[in-house]
Amino acid sequence: MKSIIRSLSSVKLAIILIIIIISASIIGTLIPQGRSAAEYAAHYGGLSDLMMRLELTRLYHSWWFMGLLALFAFNITVCTLTRLSPKFKKAFRPGLRFEKKSLLTLKSNDRIKKNWDLDRSGKELQKLLKSRRFRVKESRQEGAAHFLAQKKRAGLFGSDIVHLGLLIILIGGIVSGMGGFKDSLTISEGQTLSVPDADFQIRLNKFYTEYYESGAVKDWKSDLTVIDESGPVLSKTIEVNYPLSYKGFVFYQSSYGWNWDNPSLEIWIKKREDPSFLKKTELRLGGAAKLEEENIELAALHFVPDFIINENNEIVTRSLEPNNPAVFIEGTRDGEKIFSGWIFANFPDFARIHSDVETDLIFELKNFRGSPYSGIQVAKDPGVNFIWAGCIFLMIGLSVAFYWPPREMKFILEESQGKTEITAGGTATKFKDTFQSEFEHIISSLRRAK
Amino acid sequence: MNESTLFLITFILYIISAFFYFSYLFSKKDKAARTGLTFALAGLALHTIALIVRTVESGHAPFTNMYESLSFLAWSSILAYVIIAIKYKFQKAGPYFLLIVIALMALASSPLMPDEATPLVPALQSYWLWLHVSVTLLGEAFFAVAFVTSIMYLIADAKEKKGTQKKPGTSSEKLDSISYRCVAIGFPLFTLGGLVFGMVWAYKAWGSWWSWDPKETWSLITWFVFALYLHTRLVMGWKGRRSAYIAIIGFLAALFTYFGVNYLLAGLHSYA
Repeated sequence: MKSIIRSLSSVKLAIILIIIIISASIIGTLIPQGRSAAEYAAHYGGLSDLMMRLELTRLYHSWWFMGLLALFAFNITVCTLTRLSPKFKKAFRPGLRFEKKSLLTLKSNDRIKKNWDLDRSGKELQKLLKSRRFRVKESRQEGAAHFLAQKKRAGLFGSDIVHLGLLIILIGGIVSGMGGFKDSLTISEGQTLSVPDADFQIRLNKFYTEYYESGAVKDWKSDLTVIDESGPVLSKTIEVNYPLSYKGFVFYQSSYGWNWDNPSLEIWIKKREDPSFLKKTELRLGGAAKLEEENIELAALHFVPDFIINENNEIVTRSLEPNNPAVFIEGTRDGEKIFSGWIFANFPDFARIHSDVETDLIFELKNFRGSPYSGIQVAKDPGVNFIWAGCIFLMIGLSVAFYWPPREMKFILEESQGKTEITAGGTATKFKDTFQSEFEHIISSLRRAK
Repeated sequence: MNESTLFLITFILYIISAFFYFSYLFSKKDKAARTGLTFALAGLALHTIALIVRTVESGHAPFTNMYESLSFLAWSSILAYVIIAIKYKFQKAGPYFLLIVIALMALASSPLMPDEATPLVPALQSYWLWLHVSVTLLGEAFFAVAFVTSIMYLIADAKEKKGTQKKPGTSSEKLDSISYRCVAIGFPLFTLGGLVFGMVWAYKAWGSWWSWDPKETWSLITWFVFALYLHTRLVMGWKGRRSAYIAIIGFLAALFTYFGVNYLLAGLHSYA
């Protein structure tokens, strides 16, 4: 049992775990993650089965990667805790008995003789150390004194604060993973939608795309209103990078598109023989318009935003973008069909009208408007505050660990025949050379003092 | 003066600086190193102006395409180098480091890198672009200095072992300590810019602070390699050769995060 705890608390294990996590992460970036079984089978052949079973295809969410992270978190915790109590003792209840021999084995050490008695030497040393912001503790015996000078003791705990930050981030990850959710909403202008798992709704008042002068997209913006039982509570225009937050739910602008269920269409009617003739009519899909003089009822039956004839000879839309908008129109006279066919907004001369009755009418699709919809991502992440707290600890810890180095020096003063011999020693774990120069500075000031 | 002229003059100043540094390498005259540093500082000043002009002209942060990003990386590298050179009175890395900077500048001005300023796509319109990219690249610049001093350490150490160096120990120990100091500056910067600011921005833009996108994963890998460097060194007392190897691997991981991920792996970070 003891040996298990010892190996779990060892830095060696931490290093092995870091190396394994690095290797696993690299594998995860080399194998595309989260694709379908068929894609893996096509790409990796017989190996794909094994890969799926080892969860290499959803590596970062696999049981074994989670296990690795859990073990790593446990190792950090044990490592930090087992080192904490000796550190506290070193910082706040340091021993004041030390051997002269051990002082002289420290990396920085020196010996001075002064023509002072013990009292005077103690006072001078105190004064000097305090002027350099050391806290001094001393213990006196007959004819000798031990001094311990410390400063920037918080620096001892920098790494512990970093580890605490990391643990908080990992906890935040668990909380996010268990309590968080993400969903995509497709919402048209004027539409009100219930937010999944929430007791309120959102309404899209307006959606618009802003363009640069060059025609490139500058931004997508959605005017949103949050509505609960009491009515509208909050309105905000969201855009990419600037989401709306309400009751822990965050709404992000993530995509956009066109809804072509009920477009409004503007159709111009001309006559082949009479260039002065022009009649404009506006109608909705499924609706009809009456051409009085001709006694014709014109109806729009189908609309596709991106007309294409597929390999089965069917008319379909290639995308939801209005790249090649076409409408299927039908004309009837006294309830009898006289012509029908597709007309194209981009190719007015390419109309495919089949008429049963001779007519010199020409139809052009002049304008069309679908309703734009906004793709909004809604997310709830209860772990996110842990993450920010963890990040703050992480950065404080790193600053302390690197830029607040703890300093400790030990002195033994021994008096004989009115003279005092001072033995000094100290060591630093970080920035040894700046410590060495501070040490030398103190020794030489002491040496110079009259 | 427009940005490309300023960029060109900066480039020339760096080349002159490298020239003096190389003459320092062979003549061992401190005066040559001082002149090299002066030219590097002049280049840095002009480069700063070039970046400001670029920002004003384009109206956005000067690191949104490969040209800008490389130029900014060169700028951060020079900045990191002069900080180390002045603070620790250490100029021996000058010739090699200036070569890296010149390579970055050359790459930035190559015709393969489109250099026209294009308007920002919606995803990049955020002040987090400034914070995330600039702090990360500055951290990586210090890793680059550590990379150079680590390689120099390995060479110096090998020479000392063979006994061809006159004063054994002194030069390699200094190199080892400089490498550590660069990591000690680069690591907190990289953590702040790459990971912390990256997570904040990802949360603001995509609604999740971590998505295991290849670039995120590789920056985590880089972070872990330098964590390894620090733990082996500060807890287990490794230094010298083994530390140098880890610092070199760490910089290569950072380099892959910066370059390789864009060209070899697909993901969310497909801007620059």
